[in-house]
Amino acid sequence: MEQGTVFDIKEFAVYDGPGVRTTVFMKGCPLRCQWCHNPEGLSPRPQLMVSTASCTHCGACRAACPHPDAPCDACGACISHCPLGLRRLAGKRWTSEALAARLLRDRDLYAQSGGGVTFSGGEPLMQWPFVRETLARLPGVHTAVETSGYASDAVFEEAMRAFSLVMLDVKLTDPERHRHFTGVDNAPILRHARMLAAGDTPFILRVPLIPGVNDCESHLAAVAELARGAARLVRVELLPYHQTAGAKYEMAGMAYRPEFDTAQPVQTHLDVFERAGVPVRVL
Amino acid sequence: MTERIRILREYQWARRHHAFRQDLQVDPAPYRAADMPDYARTARRLSLALSLERPVLLPGELIACTRTVPALPGIYGDEEWARITAAHFIHERGNVCNLSPDYASVIAGGLLALRAQLTDSPYHAAMRESIDAVLDLARRYREAALAAGDEALAQVLARVPAHGARTLREALQSLRILHFAMWCEGDYHNTLGRLDQTLMPYLRRDLDAGTLTQDEAFELIEAFFLACNRDSDLYPGMQQGDNGQSVVLGGMTPDGADGYNLLSEMCLRASADLRLIDPKINLRVSRETPLSVYELGTQLTKLGLGFPQYENDDVAISGLMRLGYEERDARNYAMAACWEFIIPGRGMDIPNIGALSFAGVVDAAVRAGLRTASSVEDLLQDVERRIFADVRATLAGLKDLYVIPSPYMSLFFEGCLESQRDISLGCRYNNYGLHGTGLAPAADMLAAVQRTVFEEGLSPEELLRAMDDNFQGEGELRHRLQFDCPKMGNDDDAADGYAVRLLDMFSRAVEGLRNERGGCVRAGTGSAMFYIRHAQALGATADGREAGVPLPANYAPSLNVRLDGPVSLIRSFTKPDLVRAMNGGPLTIEFSDTVFKNDEAIEKVAQLVRLFVLRGGHQIQLNTVNRDQLLDAQRHPELHRNLIVRVWGWSGYFVELDKCYQDHIIRRVNLNV
Repeated sequence: MEQGTVFDIKEFAVYDGPGVRTTVFMKGCPLRCQWCHNPEGLSPRPQLMVSTASCTHCGACRAACPHPDAPCDACGACISHCPLGLRRLAGKRWTSEALAARLLRDRDLYAQSGGGVTFSGGEPLMQWPFVRETLARLPGVHTAVETSGYASDAVFEEAMRAFSLVMLDVKLTDPERHRHFTGVDNAPILRHARMLAAGDTPFILRVPLIPGVNDCESHLAAVAELARGAARLVRVELLPYHQTAGAKYEMAGMAYRPEFDTAQPVQTHLDVFERAGVPVRVL
Repeated sequence: MTERIRILREYQWARRHHAFRQDLQVDPAPYRAADMPDYARTARRLSLALSLERPVLLPGELIACTRTVPALPGIYGDEEWARITAAHFIHERGNVCNLSPDYASVIAGGLLALRAQLTDSPYHAAMRESIDAVLDLARRYREAALAAGDEALAQVLARVPAHGARTLREALQSLRILHFAMWCEGDYHNTLGRLDQTLMPYLRRDLDAGTLTQDEAFELIEAFFLACNRDSDLYPGMQQGDNGQSVVLGGMTPDGADGYNLLSEMCLRASADLRLIDPKINLRVSRETPLSVYELGTQLTKLGLGFPQYENDDVAISGLMRLGYEERDARNYAMAACWEFIIPGRGMDIPNIGALSFAGVVDAAVRAGLRTASSVEDLLQDVERRIFADVRATLAGLKDLYVIPSPYMSLFFEGCLESQRDISLGCRYNNYGLHGTGLAPAADMLAAVQRTVFEEGLSPEELLRAMDDNFQGEGELRHRLQFDCPKMGNDDDAADGYAVRLLDMFSRAVEGLRNERGGCVRAGTGSAMFYIRHAQALGATADGREAGVPLPANYAPSLNVRLDGPVSLIRSFTKPDLVRAMNGGPLTIEFSDTVFKNDEAIEKVAQLVRLFVLRGGHQIQLNTVNRDQLLDAQRHPELHRNLIVRVWGWSGYFVELDKCYQDHIIRRVNLNV
């Protein structure tokens, strides 16, 4: 049986697809987007998260650490020593069977509300064999994926068949800028956007609107162009950058160093989509 | 909101009508004569109170009546009262409270019709004196309206409350005066009952006759709601804001039909439009209720009003019938000041007469028996014995109840006029209700003992010593108890199973008990203000809770647990058999206001409430709070005067609460979605 690493399971996810949903956050991502608000989703390995704001520096965690001179290997020995409960591990191994059983607990609510399960991350397609096996154990459940689209064509094709709804991020259509801000080539992503437009899986194109990075008319017009006329397009969703995106970096022991001005308001250019006849919504 | 309502709302909001309040030192001698029976004193006092009222018409007023004499001394002097309290059990302040009067009959028939049934007996004389005082107040208001050139208002007041109302406006004006006089009589937690059922016949008649448009009706409802907020600061209950002015919307009619109507919807919309703490909205729902009704309710939740509170007819009606309420009465239930089920016109239940501390009995059993127990079952046997003993001791302490009579209020209750028996002495239903506080922490304690002591081999001695030391130097053990043990609220039978059993014990413990008025005893899941008192009586507890940490308010998870989310929460809290917890007490969920960043969330939150109802929950209430805003309101109360929060069973203005209640609200688990 396949096993996968999950860093969170969020009940009552309100913005991850239709109806009331449970969202599974898969750990590990090939992209390094400067605006990522789930830094604990980047590394595929379990890692320690510490809420530093309330820490009193009492030293109990250091005293409990079995290897204080080596880098943290997320063994978790310190967790129960924190008197304030500020430490936890992000990243738990699940079997597909156990995860499916957890998700099926809310089957009645999915049916009642027209909801279901959403796989997010991290990049869920990075653990595709595990996700595929979990999906097979969710018969009759509406399933959605939030993906960067950065995967092999074969995996993406399989995913299009396996999910009820695909939500694909189109972050930047310009290849150079995409590489600069996310660390990877956008050719497979754009190819997969076109596969969606030509295919018969319902899909949503999503744009995280980052001030000064991609909230310009040219990028949004390119997204509208990708979406235009696609038979199974549900809509385009714009997700304006939120100031709290950097909140978890310190917890994950990382630094948040975006090159863009995080305080600058974003432009939505909704008229671009109106002109192209593409339904759009700002989340 | 029309311009008229906007102006009136601002006028009230600025408290300009407070200028009409008279600073009178009223001499109680006229109603404290030694030879006057208690009911005659109440009537004389009411008569004096109403005669001192100076009619006030606010700008653009549609529904008149404003309190100008804030308070009169009670009917007893200190010495007399001391003698009475020494000889009797006194509930709270001693006055009639928390009842659901039968407004519908009195609005329809008028006070003169009641007056015509009175004889020359002394008790009927007291009723007559009360009626005459109310009619005289209406007469003076009518004269004031005439003097101000307000013909329409004068015409309404010429009709009601003396005669039966014919129009929606007359019905609302009648209700306003009738309700107003209850406060003046000294009764408190005066609820407004099934407002949509009471008023719908009048609205229908007006609409059918073409004499009123829906917009005009809506304006009248808003004017009435505004009137409910005019004097409510004078009626503080246990805390400022706890005034009991609740309404109940929707739900099954006594005949078994669906009572949700146009007025139910108008009331929900008016409440959302006005954003004031009164009246406090209860919404009766069932498995048949369409999602759109939950969505309207959720619009109010989004505004942060702390209501509606939802009641589930599927559970409540059968639960009430199980307790002996007749089917028509069970279907006609209304709500007391907070969440207790009461019966309009027929119930003199005292639903908040005492409380069981689940956390207290489980803690006592753990401390007394853990050293010798061979399993949690041993502890549970002791817990059961303690719950039975606690309930019986509470009931034994409730002897020789004395309630200050209220001949005026008695006009609204079945049989009081005919039998000349005051409502304070009882009515068709005379049941007592007991709250049950801290069910979740109690279940968590048992789950923690099971896990650490009986599964993982922790020595009982070590646990008890750590509790005695308030976990000083035992941080790791406390961490284990708090974070690594099963908790109620995470859909884990290892904790929820104990809650199921504890609530079952409570409901069995009250079964068959009779109070001195012949009524039964109802078990509940509410807390009222006991969540503060019961927590103060506890030291550190086996669930890892340190001494001084409060218990959750009502039916809610412990304050110090990590929750998986609202869906698991609802699953946990619908496992106990709530049909047998018919004293009520809502599951309370606190949402961060970020949940509602767009309208899609309205439908989804509505689905969550519906899940609770479909799974057999009895009552639920959602709060939308912003922690930073609450903290800022503590520092700068002057900037947050209109910040509304839910406290235990009612909504009030945050800045008017005592600090311990403010702090509790800030501490409650806050679900970010």
